Amino acid sequence: MVSALPPAVIFEQVSYKYPRSEEYSLKKVNLRIEQGEFAVITGPSGCGKSTLCKCINGLIPHSYGGTFKGKVIVHGKCTLEHPVYELAQLVGLVFQDPESQLFCSTVEKEIAFGLENLGLPREEILARVEEALDLLGIAHLRYRAPYELSGGEQQKVAIASCIAMRPKVLVLDEPTANLDPLSAKSVLDVVYALNKKLGVTVILVEHRLEMISHLASKLVVMYRGEVLTQGPPRKVLFSWKILEIGVGLPKPLLIALMLAEKGFPIEAPPLLPEELVELVAGGEER
Amino acid sequence: MRVFEGLYYVKRNTAMHRLDPRAKLVYVLCITILSTAVFHTALPMIMLFISVIPLAVEGRVLRRLLSTLRGGAMLAAFIFIFNFIGRLWNIGFVSPSSPEFLEALMPSLAMALRFLTLIATFSIFFLTTSPDDFAQALVQMRLPYDYALTFTMAMRFIPTLAREAQIVADAQKSRGLELEKGGFMQRIRNYIPILVPLIVSSFRRAETIADAMESRAFGASKKRSFLYMLRFKLSDTLFSAICIAITAAIIWLRLSSFLPP
Repeated sequence: MVSALPPAVIFEQVSYKYPRSEEYSLKKVNLRIEQGEFAVITGPSGCGKSTLCKCINGLIPHSYGGTFKGKVIVHGKCTLEHPVYELAQLVGLVFQDPESQLFCSTVEKEIAFGLENLGLPREEILARVEEALDLLGIAHLRYRAPYELSGGEQQKVAIASCIAMRPKVLVLDEPTANLDPLSAKSVLDVVYALNKKLGVTVILVEHRLEMISHLASKLVVMYRGEVLTQGPPRKVLFSWKILEIGVGLPKPLLIALMLAEKGFPIEAPPLLPEELVELVAGGEER
Repeated sequence: MRVFEGLYYVKRNTAMHRLDPRAKLVYVLCITILSTAVFHTALPMIMLFISVIPLAVEGRVLRRLLSTLRGGAMLAAFIFIFNFIGRLWNIGFVSPSSPEFLEALMPSLAMALRFLTLIATFSIFFLTTSPDDFAQALVQMRLPYDYALTFTMAMRFIPTLAREAQIVADAQKSRGLELEKGGFMQRIRNYIPILVPLIVSSFRRAETIADAMESRAFGASKKRSFLYMLRFKLSDTLFSAICIAITAAIIWLRLSSFLPP
C-alpha cells in the first residue's frame, strides 16, 4: 500500500558544505523515506543530522548558502526550485532549542503565526489553532506565554505550530535533547500519535533510542556526514560497530549482543526490556 | 533602571486597558502638544501634570507610575539645575529676593515639570497597553509588519535575555570574576566577560529564530492576515473626541489670552 505512493522525501547524492567551512557536512547522502513512515535518524554529535534536517525544508541551501550538490525531493518538489516559505507548507521543522523557536507572546499567537503568514482567513486560523491545541493536548496552555512553560510543554507548542500548517512531513531535530526523561517520553508519545492519527510522515533525530527505536519503521545511522546504515531498527542496531561509533544502544539490545557473543541464539534482537525477558525466559525453558 | 519599570505592561481589566491603543495615542499626542507647544510656564505645567493622575488611578497603575516618576525625578532635577544655572549665567548672578531671580527659577521649574508630565503620560500608555496590541495598532496604522514584529519580539525576549545574563554572570563569578571590585572604570570593565558571551549567544539565538520563522512560511504572502484585529469601538471614538475637544478648547482659551502661556 505505502509503496504505491510516491516517496515523501528523497535525497539523491546530496553533499553540502557550509560557507567558510573546510569540510563537507554531508557527503553523498542517499535516503528515501516513504509516506507515512516513522523514520528515526541517529548518530554521534556533529555527524550531519541537523544539516540533513535543514535540507528537507530548503533552509539549506536557500538561507545558508554554501556548496550544495545533488537533489532533495519532497513530495515531488525539488527543494532547489521552491522557496522555503512554499516548502514550509509541506514540511514542518521542530528545532532542538525549545525556547528560541518560540518568539510570540502567547501560545495561541505562536500557533497562529504560520497561518497568518499564509494569509488565511481569521475563522480558518481560529479553527486550525484549536485543532492543533487539541491534537497536542495543550488546550490549557492557550493563553500562557511560551517562555514561562516547561521544556516539554514548549516542544509541544513548537510541534503544534507546525502541525497547524498541516504539513505532510514533520521533521524534528533532537526535540528531547534538553528534556528530562518523563517529558521526553511525553513528547515522543505525542509525535508517534500524530504519525498514527494523521498519517503524517515523521523524520525524527533522536539519541534516546531506548524510548523510540521499537516504534520506528526505519532507522538511519549517520556518521561523519554519511549514511552508515539504514533499515529496520532491530537489524540496524544489532551490531558492535554501531556502539563503537558512539550511538547509545538500548540496554536490552546490548545485553543481547553480549549473550550472542557467548553463543546464545538470538533470532529477533530485543529492543524492549520485556522482549529481552521473553528471550531469556524462553531460552531457559528450552 | 526604575525608569524602565514604567514601560512594562501590567495586565489588568480596566477601562484604560480596554481602550484602543490608537485612542490612547490621541491622548498622548494631545498632552504632548499642550505641554511642549502651547504652554511654557510652571502653573499650567502643574495643572497638566495633575490631569494625568486620574487616568493612572482608573488604570490601577498609580503605584507603578509613582515608581517611574521617582526614577525620573533624578533626571528632572538635572534638567531643573542646568536650566536654572544657565539662565542665571545669562542675566548675571542676582540676589534671591530680586524679580529676575524668580524669572530664572520659574521657567526652569516648568522645564522639569514638562519632562515629568511627558514621562507620566507615556508611562500610562505603556503600562496599560500590551506590546501585542501596540504592535497591532502600529500595523493597522500602516507601519510595515516587520517593524512591529521586531518590537514585539524585543519585548518577548527581555526575560529570556535577563535569565541568560544571570547564567553567564554566575558562571563567570564561579570562575573568580569580581563584579564589585575596583573604581568606576574598572567596574564597567568587569562586565565585559559577561557581555561578550551574551552577545555571541544572542547572535546564535537570532539565527535559530530566523530559521524557525522561515520554517513557518514567514514572507509567504504579501497580504498577511491576523488572528486578532483591533476594532475602534464607540467608547474609543468618544474618548478620542473628548481629548481633541478639550485640547482645542484649551488652545483657543490660550490664544485668546484667557490662560497664561
